[in-house]
Amino acid sequence: MIYSRLLTASVGAALITSCAAAFVAPYDETTDRLLTDLSVKTETAIARADAGKLSEDDRAKFYDEALGTVRTMNRRSSLFAKNEDEIKALTQLEQRFVDLREHGSSPRSSLATGLRATILAIEQIQVAKKRSSVFSAGPKKRAPPNKYDRD
Amino acid sequence: MTEINIEKLTQDIIAAATGAAKGHAADLKQYVEAHARIIADGTKQIVSDRIQNKITDDDLRFAFDQIKESEATSLLAIEVTLKAAAQDAINAAISVVEAAINKAVGIALL
Repeated sequence: MIYSRLLTASVGAALITSCAAAFVAPYDETTDRLLTDLSVKTETAIARADAGKLSEDDRAKFYDEALGTVRTMNRRSSLFAKNEDEIKALTQLEQRFVDLREHGSSPRSSLATGLRATILAIEQIQVAKKRSSVFSAGPKKRAPPNKYDRD
Repeated sequence: MTEINIEKLTQDIIAAATGAAKGHAADLKQYVEAHARIIADGTKQIVSDRIQNKITDDDLRFAFDQIKESEATSLLAIEVTLKAAAQDAINAAISVVEAAINKAVGIALL
């Protein structure tokens, strides 16, 4: 009788363990740091543009570096499973920088509102992932999944 | 082996799930407020720059289009937050069930 119950409990255990929910990719500190650096550089460029102190060379350099950072983040994000939303968001961020560059004017704060809102949205994605990682950091924490894990 | 108290287990599951999701709800409120502030400040700046001829009509239309485009990313941020909240709520509930099973069978089976 007791063995029968133990067997039932074992089957239940196997089911529960294999059913742990994973809807979003794990928090990645490197992505978060790159995003913070990008945010600082963007706000610095906007402040200089508002003050009329961003030369054309500085502007071109800013866009080149920003695009390089976003593409690096996008490539890194693609290494994690369940990260499609972040990849989409980073692709949209890249488009904001491209649009601003192609518009040809200085990234004044009036013209960069959409860019700022896009960066804030991706920062919120990092906040949500970080809270999830804090929540799951218990004694039974499992290794973060990557794209090579089976679903 | 002990019997499972359904009423207590249900209450424990609800408490764990809602507790896990609560932090995400607070974060989401903060995000929506910060987002609204950015859009409001930006709108004021767009109008101010146009009145002072610092930007053209074309710039104004561009700035407005960029704000509209950015809303798609805002939607993604909200979706990820909701998914993370659901994930944490479900996993918290599963943890409670694991603990209840371990306690009932008398060994740390899970």
